[in-house]
Amino acid sequence: MFDYYLRLALRRCRQNVPMVLLLVLTMAIGIAACMTAMTIFRALSGAPLPGVSPYLYVATMDAREEVDKDNPDYKQPDSLLKLVDARVLVDAHRAVQQVAVAQSLTLLGDMDGRKSEQAYGLMAYGLAVQALGVPLRYGRPWTEAELAANAPVLVIDTHVAQKLFGTEDAVGRSVMLGQRSFRVIGVSGEWKPRVQIFNLAENAGSVMGQEENFFVPAQAALDAGVGPLIAGECGKGAPVVSFQSAAVAQCRWMETWVRLDTPSQLADYGRFLAGYADAQHDAGRFAYPPQAKLYGTQAWMTLNRVVPDDVHLNLMLAGAFLLLCLVNVAGLLAARFLRRQGDVAIRRALGASRRDVFVQHLVETGLLGLIGGALALPLTWLGLWIVRMQPVSYAEAARFSPGVFVILFALSVGVGLLVGILPAWRVCRQPPALQIKIA
Amino acid sequence: MRHIIKPLFRHRMMPLLVLLQVALACAIACNALFLLQQKLVPIVSPDGVGNPDRLIVAWNIAPRGQPWPTSRLDQVAAELRAIPGVGSVSVAGSFPMETVAQMNGGVYGEGAHPAKADTAVYIGTHLRDTLGLKLVAGRDFSAAEEGVSYKGMGLDENGPAIITRALAERLFPGGDALGHVLRLGDAADAGRRTVVGVVEHLMRNKFGQDDREDIDYSMLFPSIPTNWPMPIFALRARSAAEVDGVLKAAKATLKRELGPEMIQGIDPAYEMYGDMRERQMAQPKAAVWLLSGVSLIVLLVTVVGIMGLTSYWVQQRTRQIGIRRALGARRGNILRDVQLENLLVVGGGILLGMALAYAINLWLMHHYELARLPWTYLPYGAALMLLLGQLAVLSPALRAARVPPVVATRSV
Repeated sequence: MFDYYLRLALRRCRQNVPMVLLLVLTMAIGIAACMTAMTIFRALSGAPLPGVSPYLYVATMDAREEVDKDNPDYKQPDSLLKLVDARVLVDAHRAVQQVAVAQSLTLLGDMDGRKSEQAYGLMAYGLAVQALGVPLRYGRPWTEAELAANAPVLVIDTHVAQKLFGTEDAVGRSVMLGQRSFRVIGVSGEWKPRVQIFNLAENAGSVMGQEENFFVPAQAALDAGVGPLIAGECGKGAPVVSFQSAAVAQCRWMETWVRLDTPSQLADYGRFLAGYADAQHDAGRFAYPPQAKLYGTQAWMTLNRVVPDDVHLNLMLAGAFLLLCLVNVAGLLAARFLRRQGDVAIRRALGASRRDVFVQHLVETGLLGLIGGALALPLTWLGLWIVRMQPVSYAEAARFSPGVFVILFALSVGVGLLVGILPAWRVCRQPPALQIKIA
Repeated sequence: MRHIIKPLFRHRMMPLLVLLQVALACAIACNALFLLQQKLVPIVSPDGVGNPDRLIVAWNIAPRGQPWPTSRLDQVAAELRAIPGVGSVSVAGSFPMETVAQMNGGVYGEGAHPAKADTAVYIGTHLRDTLGLKLVAGRDFSAAEEGVSYKGMGLDENGPAIITRALAERLFPGGDALGHVLRLGDAADAGRRTVVGVVEHLMRNKFGQDDREDIDYSMLFPSIPTNWPMPIFALRARSAAEVDGVLKAAKATLKRELGPEMIQGIDPAYEMYGDMRERQMAQPKAAVWLLSGVSLIVLLVTVVGIMGLTSYWVQQRTRQIGIRRALGARRGNILRDVQLENLLVVGGGILLGMALAYAINLWLMHHYELARLPWTYLPYGAALMLLLGQLAVLSPALRAARVPPVVATRSV
């Protein structure tokens, strides 16, 4: 029966090509607009570190040690801590995993000083490789003992290893970082959060994540004269921010991320964090009530508006547009079907049930939906290409992916059926006798 | 009237679909056009900068570790000033069309209930001269004022200020702003600045949801901010012919003087002001294209939809129209009836659409940094939709009017 309906539908499509073209194009434009906006939205709003970030929480508290008359009521939760505080939180081992990190941009060189590479990396206190789920290709991550001893060890990624040593397996080699030589103990694969998650206060406006080329214990790096790229919040009278400075003892520059797997762990850690922060306030160190709070990665990104408003607005605009296209096509389809009431009446009189008529028309609209989807595919591709050409911070996210293809397919069939329900129901509702009379 | 309204209720589906389409189109188009208008503001507003093709800006310059002392920056500025062909040199903390460093804040006027304005501050030496701003009242900063040294950035400190005319009218309405004092924030010990000059225009460097006035809320403070980690150098060439030479020499000078102390891995940027503006405006321009494209397609789709549905609706009633014609209705009557029917349905759609547009705007305002939809949009939108509705219905209505009375005698 199904293939008979399909043949019937194809035959009918050929009868009035301009009308069919109009229907299909309207659907295609609606679907393509929606797909383009959705692709970008999905790329930006998914987990920044799949499999890891859903369990990661960032510790925030008002850790200011001086009264600040410009911002007395702590408008925005603050994730930056001094290294001393981050150390306490990490060393307490109250979470499944914990690490304090800060972004660094510095020169990595080989020992001869012949090859060097400017690289972004993370300075970390804690077992960064494990906590952040960095994939290791060779070697091993640093140990608690090495961390405690401020051992000059580091993990570089394959890109830097290739650049400096001409081989990916650079374990055991030495790298010049600042004024000291560091031993490479591990080589990581490419690691990059899909979206910016670190130090959002000072990364406002940057949407896409930073690829990290090396990971180094923070204190060892500071000892070698390498500091974070940006250190802000160094107290009154200090510069607003300073760059690449290793003199950061008075600054809040590290973010503490913890891994918590269950709600009870989350609640326990929340209490521990609040207890620590309140104790610092009671001891007179923190100037304000700390209001310590944990934020999940997604909540933290939402709070800091990492995904630009325009992405949300465009998605809504595209959704509303698709809705308009649906109503439009439903109307045109109803007109198209009702014009053929005579055919339907004869089928009904010959014994077709209402269900048969309904299904027949749904098959036809489903087919139109599929054709619309097929047309939407190049249109979506074109839309994404146009977005990539735009001077927007998230242009890189506008890439076609297989997942998008599946959604597109489902969406087009769904759209086809959805717009067909009302007209098909309308056409099968009338009793055959009346329809024949009209005919 | 009755013979138009009654059938609408008897055959509900067709008019309902038209109404729904119009309502949706209205809601989408109103909000899209409102967004578009906001994106247009920075593109069409004057930025106040004179001869942008002669203004060279060096930015993205930051020292490793501690910021450079202002005396050092002054000394570099003196070196730059010595380049042949240079008219004026500024060292500033922030700059128009440069959004990496922004100084913004609420600024208050005088009195018990002072006016407030979200204002951009540019602190730097000789900025009025270098930017080529047109002074409409008062004077430029004096040499003594330019030489003052701040304890901090300068935002908390007292002194003179040059403000834009728009800001002057906002803070000190209905009067001369010169000599009046503005407050930098609502704290009791906030810095106070005396207005010494008013310039015609100066665009702020924080772009968001702007309208024509507040994008022009900016002011200048003299001298160089202390402890500021990202100084910006701006040079104005005396003539367009000398720009290339000045740019080359400025690059060499800054590289020689500050290069060894700059942060590693991030290169300074040397740009013409006109190019910076182009770059900064590229994003709103792209958004304008997108939104106008969307609005156009929305309206097009709606027109086609109304056309398709009405022509079916007319065809469906060919016999009735024939009977009416046979009973004495003129072509004009039929034409008017179809048009009136469309007017009613589209009008209903517009009412619903306006309510929807407003509700959507309220929701967006709540969740995003969006301004309120001005009500003036509604009548314009309504008129546009009515016009489009009439246009869409014209061809089916004419076809209806051409139905000959003889149709009534045929059984179709």
